[in-house]
Amino acid sequence: MSAPTITLHVLGALRTYCAGAAQLSISAHTVRAALEDLERSQGDLYRNICDETGMVRRHLNVFVNSDNVRDLDGVDTRLAPGDVLTILPAVSGG
Amino acid sequence: MADRVILTIGTKKGVFVADAAKPRRNFALRGPFGPGIPVYSTLIDTRGAPRLYASSCNPFFGMKVLRSTNMGKSFEETKSAPAFPKDDGRVLANIWALEPGGGKKELWCGVEPASLFRSGDGGDSWEMVPGISNHEHARKWQPGNGGLCMHTIIRDGNRVHLGISTGGHYLSEDGGATFRASNQGVGAGFAPDPYPEFGQCVHKIARHKDAPGRLYMQNHGGWADWTGPGGPRPDIGVLRSDDHGKTWRSIAKGLPSDFGFPIVVHPHNADTVYVVPLEPSTRSCPGSAPAVWRSENGGNSWSRLARGFPKKQSYFTILRDAMDVDRLKAPALYFGTTTGQLWIGREGGEKWDCLFDSLPPIHNVKVAVV
Repeated sequence: MSAPTITLHVLGALRTYCAGAAQLSISAHTVRAALEDLERSQGDLYRNICDETGMVRRHLNVFVNSDNVRDLDGVDTRLAPGDVLTILPAVSGG
Repeated sequence: MADRVILTIGTKKGVFVADAAKPRRNFALRGPFGPGIPVYSTLIDTRGAPRLYASSCNPFFGMKVLRSTNMGKSFEETKSAPAFPKDDGRVLANIWALEPGGGKKELWCGVEPASLFRSGDGGDSWEMVPGISNHEHARKWQPGNGGLCMHTIIRDGNRVHLGISTGGHYLSEDGGATFRASNQGVGAGFAPDPYPEFGQCVHKIARHKDAPGRLYMQNHGGWADWTGPGGPRPDIGVLRSDDHGKTWRSIAKGLPSDFGFPIVVHPHNADTVYVVPLEPSTRSCPGSAPAVWRSENGGNSWSRLARGFPKKQSYFTILRDAMDVDRLKAPALYFGTTTGQLWIGREGGEKWDCLFDSLPPIHNVKVAVV
């Protein structure tokens, strides 16, 4: 079965790492597969999102549509056609 | 172009650059570069055309190295930053030290968790130095309050001295291929054994190129009143070595506290050394009255330098990399505070003035004449 196409929203601060793109289309069955695609196609952007062990950086949250994957199946959360993937910094102050 | 005195100021919210003509009357400030992101390390690389470097330690998106080739008018990220091999398991948490290496474009970088990286191309690519990063002690080191950081890299020919908090002092005599703990005489206050083989909370190490074998160390002092196992450890905080760091002895006698962070050597006199004694509990100067202390005889005696500072009710901290000295004939010292003040101590620290009063908390100050 071909992988569903989803949209990754790119945070403004990270667009410099993907030639200014605000959105990227990715075909992937899971969040993990989407990140692996990103590692291959947008290495600079990927390194801002995942550390050298391949884990999503500890102060970032990954949402599929409006749900934090922490409350779903983590990076193994399955994706459906048209899903929107958003990666945001955890709230902070100071 | 006439010589200018240039300062790099690493802060909690980016790196600033200030410069002035040699009389050092008026410093022009620009920045912040890498705005909003903490900078723990800067380097003014004067080999060839000057290059400025800054570590941009983004807690969300990871570590970057910034480089300026136009004297700090702008900065760009290098092509890559240090990173552990994927199968190593460690994750880079901060960049604490940037130092020039042997080759014209060689850089050395100390990071958290304590490890050493080397670049041969001015910071565009990096490789981990296994002799210390994979040392048999490396997984036994513990983080101090600032994290498990490799903050000091001193190169002296084929010798390399490293300062690790908390790991202690490590010495290589083969150009960095292998290292051994070299802490004889370096005390620890937070362990039953007052003089362990390694694990000391070294705060900073300094060297003068004209005094072979001589090193000065600001260690984590403040343990004179300890009454637990191992007994009191007075004066373990300020130390000197005369044998390339193989053994160390206290030079803290005469200081109001042996706790502090930076230690700086006069550029033209290896016997003149500066520290900033702090109360261990508040990390501020004793009596809330700021002062830099200077020894002009290699640590045998100390004098207090406070002309120009507030006389009371001042509680700032000066962190390990936040003090430096320029190399002019009558050198000036500079330090930044956790309350965002940048001070200049003219005539070797005899007279102090506040250059900038409201910067973000300052982690790092470096100065060069270029």
